[in-house]
Amino acid sequence: MKSEELKNQEYKYGFTTQIENFKAPKGLSEKTIKFISKIKKEPKWMLDWRLKAFNRLKVLKEPNWQKPKYPKIDYQNLYYYSAPKSMQEKPKSLDEVDPKLIETYNKLGIPLNEQKRLSGVAVDAVFDSVSVATTFKGELDKKGIIFCPISEAIQKHPHLVKKYLGSVIPISDHYFATLNSAVFTDGSFVYIPPNTRCPMELSTYFRINASETGQFERTLIIADKGSYVSYLEGCTAPMRDENQLHAANVELVALDDAEIKYSTVQNWYPGDKDGVGGIYNFVTKRGACRGRNSKISWTQVETGSAITWKYPSCILQGDNSVGEFYSIAITNNHQKADTGTKMIHLGKNTKSKIISKGISAGQADNTYRGLVDIGAKAKNSRNYTQCDSLLMGNKCGAHTVPYIRNKNSSSTIEHEATTSKINEDQLFYCNQRGLNQEEAVSLIVNGFCKEVLQQLPMEFAVEAQKLVSISLEGSVG
Amino acid sequence: MEQLFNIDFKRFNSLNEKEAADRKKNFELFLKEGLPNKKNENWKFSDLNYIITKNFKNITNNDDYKFQEKIDLIHDFDHNKVILVNGSLKSSDLHFEEKGKVKIETLKSLEGFHHQSKNNLDYLNKALSIGGFNLEVQQNYKCKKPIIIYNYFTANLNNKIINNSNKIKVRQNSELTLIEYNICEKSKFIKNTFEKINIDKGAVLKNIILQKTKCNGYFYKSISGTQDFNSSYQNFILSSGLKFNKIEIDMILEKEKSSCHILSGLNLSTEEHQEIKTQINHLAPNCKSYQKIKKVLESNSKGVYQGKIFVKDIAQKTDAYQLSKALILNDQAEFNAKPELEIYADDVKCSHGSSSGSIDEEAIHYLMTRGIELKAAKKLLINGFLNEIFENIPEDKIRIFLEKSIAVQIDEIR
Repeated sequence: MKSEELKNQEYKYGFTTQIENFKAPKGLSEKTIKFISKIKKEPKWMLDWRLKAFNRLKVLKEPNWQKPKYPKIDYQNLYYYSAPKSMQEKPKSLDEVDPKLIETYNKLGIPLNEQKRLSGVAVDAVFDSVSVATTFKGELDKKGIIFCPISEAIQKHPHLVKKYLGSVIPISDHYFATLNSAVFTDGSFVYIPPNTRCPMELSTYFRINASETGQFERTLIIADKGSYVSYLEGCTAPMRDENQLHAANVELVALDDAEIKYSTVQNWYPGDKDGVGGIYNFVTKRGACRGRNSKISWTQVETGSAITWKYPSCILQGDNSVGEFYSIAITNNHQKADTGTKMIHLGKNTKSKIISKGISAGQADNTYRGLVDIGAKAKNSRNYTQCDSLLMGNKCGAHTVPYIRNKNSSSTIEHEATTSKINEDQLFYCNQRGLNQEEAVSLIVNGFCKEVLQQLPMEFAVEAQKLVSISLEGSVG
Repeated sequence: MEQLFNIDFKRFNSLNEKEAADRKKNFELFLKEGLPNKKNENWKFSDLNYIITKNFKNITNNDDYKFQEKIDLIHDFDHNKVILVNGSLKSSDLHFEEKGKVKIETLKSLEGFHHQSKNNLDYLNKALSIGGFNLEVQQNYKCKKPIIIYNYFTANLNNKIINNSNKIKVRQNSELTLIEYNICEKSKFIKNTFEKINIDKGAVLKNIILQKTKCNGYFYKSISGTQDFNSSYQNFILSSGLKFNKIEIDMILEKEKSSCHILSGLNLSTEEHQEIKTQINHLAPNCKSYQKIKKVLESNSKGVYQGKIFVKDIAQKTDAYQLSKALILNDQAEFNAKPELEIYADDVKCSHGSSSGSIDEEAIHYLMTRGIELKAAKKLLINGFLNEIFENIPEDKIRIFLEKSIAVQIDEIR
C-alpha cells in the first residue's frame, strides 16, 4: 500500500449500529442518579453511596492544570445512561440478543460464540452500558472466580463490593473520579479467591455507541492472597463528530502474595485529520498493593482518543510489593496525550519500574507526567524510570514532567529521559533493503516500543503491533 | 499577610510622588495574594508562605546601611572588589581593569525588569527595592581579573527584609567572571533579589554564587537573562549555608550557537532548605545547554531541583542536558526533583537524568578495607561527589579556592 493510500485510510472501526436506545433523562441531577440506580436494581446503600459522591461533586472543581486543554463540557447536556433496549429483560441465551448487536461484535472480532471459545478468552462485553453476555462462566465458577458485570456483583456479592469499592479511589478523590462514582453505569467485577491462578486472560471490550452518551465504566478487581490474574481491556469506538466524554474508574486490590496484570489497548476514535471529533478519555486507574509481596503491573498502548488523560498508579502499601508501568502513547494529527503514572512507596523494600515510550507525529502533543514518591518509612525501596520520546516533524511536541520525591536515605530513585527523532541511518539501512518509508518507520517504531510490547499477553501483542503501525500512517514521507 | 509585614515607605529617601504611588500600588498587588505557597506549581516543593510565617512574626524594611566592620577579604587570587552592604552598593575597586571599560554604579531604575512568569515576589521587589548595582563591560574588553562582589549583611538585620535588583550587561565579545560572595552576621532576615542579565554577541559571563559561612538568611533570587549569537553563560551555584534559598534562573537563548551552563554543588545540613529552579528556553537552532545539580542532604534538610528545558520548533540541532543527583544521608532529609522537558523540534538531542540515594556501601567498604575509617571514607566520597562540578572552571586559583570552601563545609558533616 502506498503511503498516500494509507494516509487516506478511514478509521476501520468507525461504524454505528442502529439500535433503539433506552436513555436516562438528559443532565446530571439527583433524579438521573436515582434513575440509574433504579434501573440497575441497586440496594439502598449503593444509591446512598452514589448520592454522597454527587454531593461531593457539587463542591469540586474541574481540574485545569493539565496540558491538553479542551472545550468546556456541558454536563447538563449529556445522557448518563443508555442501554440497548433489548436488554430490559435479560436474555437467557445469545439467540435472544438483538442480532444487530451480535453483528457489531462480529465485526469487532469479539469471541462471543462457541468457536471462539478455543481462543481461550472469556469476554464480558459492554455495549454502551449494559453487559450483554458473559462467557466461560462455568470454567471460572469451578475455580470460585467471580467475573461478572459490576451491577450483578452489587446484587450478588454486596459484601465484597462494599468492602473494596472506593477503597482505592475514594469517592471524593477528584472531579472525574467523583463524577464516575455518582453516575457509573456498568463495568467489570473480578474476584480471585485465595491461592488461585486464573486459568485464562480475562477480557472486556468496551464500545461507545449511543451518540452524546458519556461512558462511565467502573471496574473493580480483587486478587485475594496468593492469587494471580491477567486482565485485558481493549477499546474501539464508532466514528462521529461530537466529542465524547469517557471517565472510567478502575480499581485494583492485590492482597498478600497476589499479582494483577492489567493490560490496555486503547484505540478510540481520535478525531479526523483536522482534529474534529474524537473521544475524551479521562480515566482514573489506580491499584493498591495492599499485601506483602504483592504485585501490580500496568501495561498500556494508547493510540486512540482526541485527548488521553490518565495516570494508572500503584500504591505500594505492603512490604516487598512491586509496581510496574509500561506505556506506549502514540499521538498523530491533532491528538493530545497526557499520561504517566504514580508510584507511591509506603512499605519497606518496595520496588517500582516505569518504562514510557511516547511517539508524536503531525500536530500532536504527547506528555509523560509521573510521580515517584518514596516515603520516610519505605526503607530500601527502589525505583527506575525511563521515558523516551520520539518526534516526527517539528509541528508536534514531546514533553516530560516527572515529579520525584525521596524522603529516605536507604532508597534509590533513578530517572532517565531522552527525546530524539528517528535515526536517519536506520531509515537508510531499511530503505536499502527494500522497505519503503512507511514500512521502515513502522519497523523502527516497533523496535522503539519493544520493551513495552513484550509485556503484553500474546493475543494483544500482535494486535498492538499492528495498531502501532496503523497509528502512524501518513506521518512520514 | 498585612499583619506580618510592617512596612514603612518613609524609609525610602528622596521619594517623589509618582514613585511613592507606584511602590504602594505594587505592595497592594503583592498583599492580594501574599507570599507564594505550595498551591502554586512553582512553589510546590518550597512553601515560602509556610517557611516565612513559621520563622517571622513581624517583618520590616531596612534603612540602615552603616558599616564599620572590616570585611574578611579573599587573598587566594587577585580580584577586583565591589562591596554591597545590606544589598546596597557601597564601594568598588576595579583597579585591575582599564579605565572606563568596566562600569559599576547604583541601579537607578527598574526599567526592563519584566517577568515572563507571574511571580508575586516581583511585586514585593518593585514595591520595596532599594536598587542594587548596574554592571556593564564594554565591547571587546576581556576583564583581566575576576570581580568579587562582597555581599555583606550586618548584624542588626533581625526580622528585616531586603529587596534589591541588579543589572549585568556584557557587551559584544567581552568577558567577565563575577563572583558573588555572601557574608552574613548572625541576624535572621529575608532577601529578595531580581537580577537581569544581558549577554551580547560573542560575550562570556561566568557567575559564581558562594556563601562564606552559615547564615540565618532566607534568600530568594530570580535571574533572568537573554543571550545573543555565540554567547556563553555559566553559573556555579555554591550557596550552601543559608536557612532557605531559592534561585530561579530563566535564560533565553535567542540566537544561534549560544550556550548556557548551570552547575551546582550544595551541601545542606540541619533545617536548611534550598531550591534551584531553572528554565532554559532554546529559541534558536544550534544552541547548547548543560545543567548539573548535585546535592548532599544531611539531617532534616530539604533539597529541591526543578529544571525545565524548552525547545521551540525552529530550534533544531539543540543539545540540552540536565542531570540532578542527590546523596541522602539521613532519613529525615528529603529530595524533590521535577526535571521537565518541553520539546517542539524533532532534530534535537535532549535528555535528562535524576538519581537519589545514599552513599554507595560498596565504595565505603572498599575504602575501609584499605584502612580508612568510616567517617573519613564518607567525607572522601562526598568530596568526590561535589568536586566533580568544578571541572568546568579553568582558572586553577579560583578552582582551588572553591574546592577549599567546599572542603570546609564537608568537614562540618558529623
